[in-house]
Amino acid sequence: MISMSCRIHGGDFDHGGQATRQLKEHLVRLGVSGAVMRRAMIASYEAEMNVVIHARTGTLWARVGDGTLDLEIADEGPGIPDVGLALREGWSTASARARELGYGAGLGLPNIRKNSDRFDLETRVGRGTRVRSTIFLEEGSAAKAPAAAASVAAEEGSPDTSQGPEERALAISPRRCTRCLRCIFSCPTGALRVHADGPILRASLCVGCTECASACARTAFGIREDLRLKRELPVTGQDAVLVVPRACLLSPFAGRSAAAVLNALGGLGFSEVRFTEEWEDAIRGEARLLASRPGAPVPLIPPLCPAVAALVESRFPSLIPNLAMMAFPLDAAGEEFPLRPVVLVAACAAQLASASSSSLTDRLTVTTPAGLCAALRAGAPRPQTPWSAAQAERAPEHPAAQAAAPAPALRAPRPPLAQEAHELRASGVRDVLRALSAAESGALGGITVLNLHLCAHGCSGSPFVTPDPFLSELAGPRLQPLLAGARETDACVLRRSAPYRQRTGMRLSADMASAIQALGRIDELLRRLPGRDCGACGAPACALYAEDVVMGRAGSASCPHASLTPEVSP
Amino acid sequence: MKMRELAGRIGARIYPPSETSNPEVTLVVAADTASGLIAGASPQSLLVTGLANTQLIRIAELMDAPGLCLAGAVEPGPGLLEPARASGLTLMTSPYTLEKTRRLLEECLRGVGAART
Repeated sequence: MISMSCRIHGGDFDHGGQATRQLKEHLVRLGVSGAVMRRAMIASYEAEMNVVIHARTGTLWARVGDGTLDLEIADEGPGIPDVGLALREGWSTASARARELGYGAGLGLPNIRKNSDRFDLETRVGRGTRVRSTIFLEEGSAAKAPAAAASVAAEEGSPDTSQGPEERALAISPRRCTRCLRCIFSCPTGALRVHADGPILRASLCVGCTECASACARTAFGIREDLRLKRELPVTGQDAVLVVPRACLLSPFAGRSAAAVLNALGGLGFSEVRFTEEWEDAIRGEARLLASRPGAPVPLIPPLCPAVAALVESRFPSLIPNLAMMAFPLDAAGEEFPLRPVVLVAACAAQLASASSSSLTDRLTVTTPAGLCAALRAGAPRPQTPWSAAQAERAPEHPAAQAAAPAPALRAPRPPLAQEAHELRASGVRDVLRALSAAESGALGGITVLNLHLCAHGCSGSPFVTPDPFLSELAGPRLQPLLAGARETDACVLRRSAPYRQRTGMRLSADMASAIQALGRIDELLRRLPGRDCGACGAPACALYAEDVVMGRAGSASCPHASLTPEVSP
Repeated sequence: MKMRELAGRIGARIYPPSETSNPEVTLVVAADTASGLIAGASPQSLLVTGLANTQLIRIAELMDAPGLCLAGAVEPGPGLLEPARASGLTLMTSPYTLEKTRRLLEECLRGVGAART
């Protein structure tokens, strides 16, 4: 894996193209040549010159690894009001000066897209634009890519051997399992089984919620910390931004006040601390606006929680059109600061999986509350006297303040959105399932927005953030003194680039005839089972055990209450 | 065809980076925009344009194009000649318009014969 980054200065036509030139030198050393080099140069040069022409400043990142060249060019600039127009050949907003120099033909973005095997563009008017381009290093790989994607989709419906993103983000410690079976009964999608060697996860069914972790008294479930983009904290010496669930500043650091935690974060190099809830509020506000427009699908479900979106995709596919096309809060937060190092603290496996796949650059670090806590404990010693950012500004001569790095800035929340009669909020698996079931059956007449979190009380109530979700409610009041005088949040929503898709994890087979045949065998087997749903077989219900047997995921001798004859086993 | 021969055939003035430099070109890419040039450029192509700025040199470098032809009798200043020489690029200036220069060069490369007008 080789990566590089290079700063680009807006308006500097004399040096435009230098970042691409550096990239070329790297690629030459790697032996890249021919058509791949040509495509890389066109994509990179066009993206770089777009920054020079349109933006104030920007950065080009490139990474070579896993058979691909990944480019990411982010800028601080005016953004693109109409992406559809910008992708059309011949449309340009370049200045007269740029046109004199031969730019402004309206071919920049189309050229990047044509020369990329994967292309993605995110933009915010008034803020900036991020272009991502992936080029396969092996010529001809592009043609194979769609087939590869199709084969993954087919696997999801077959006997479950593949890993979904959530499984990769969820860590299971089998040795801690006491076979209490609480986890299998708590899982909202029936994704867990408990076998003799501990819990087993069906990746295609897992939505990445925290129910299994909440249910387990022995902390057998956790969030993996070895995903791609995980970088070691601290980030000392950088102008870094930390994005955390609000309660993170309080609960994991017993014995420390919020101000002391902030001090410690300043020592790690964070100049700004932002709360995930800021982007949740922005999404809620935008959803309210969208739902009021004629023709909007109602109830609109804003993507406040990636696990809720995954639940809709797997168990309530008829509600997929109701999911608002916005990025998840943590993903939006990661894109809010295109040129600064950002550390995102994911509250659950679903957030970690989503945020880890959202960027290609070293700029973005995704960690967990435990990871942040460990970094703080290992960080440089800080003055023990609590002092807030506001106090530090008022009294810079304070010896402790002079000796220490400044505490990071906070942003005050916008005035809270009043709960309106046509909006419904629900959190916790049980209530969310009830709300979605009601929405699916049309029983939520008059409700236009469904604000849902799978964790009780939202992300701050995740078992990985607070031991008790009710404690998370203390975060707001305790942080209030530190927010006095802070600037109001400017968090924005981000358009979602990829559409929501129905998850096929519950499908018995990609082939309809085989699925019908399997269903018949499951029904036959189910009639022979006692229907106690006791969990002794390791599955949460007899029907799921029957399915496991027919699909070859479990043996036919696991039920202590029934003897299954060989002809119904696979 | 070698660039010195091409220049001679269409009556263009040539500015090679060294005495012995005489690269071979097999394609002509003509455009008055940077995007048009880079989209068509390749290691065998002669880039023909009415533009005259240092970004031309950068595009030719990135795409490994061996030479640049400035159409419309545009005379390259030191700001263009120096970086071209440093990059090993052969420059030439054509007295004709962009379109006519492109047509003449393509005729030469197709072997239609001397395209001198």
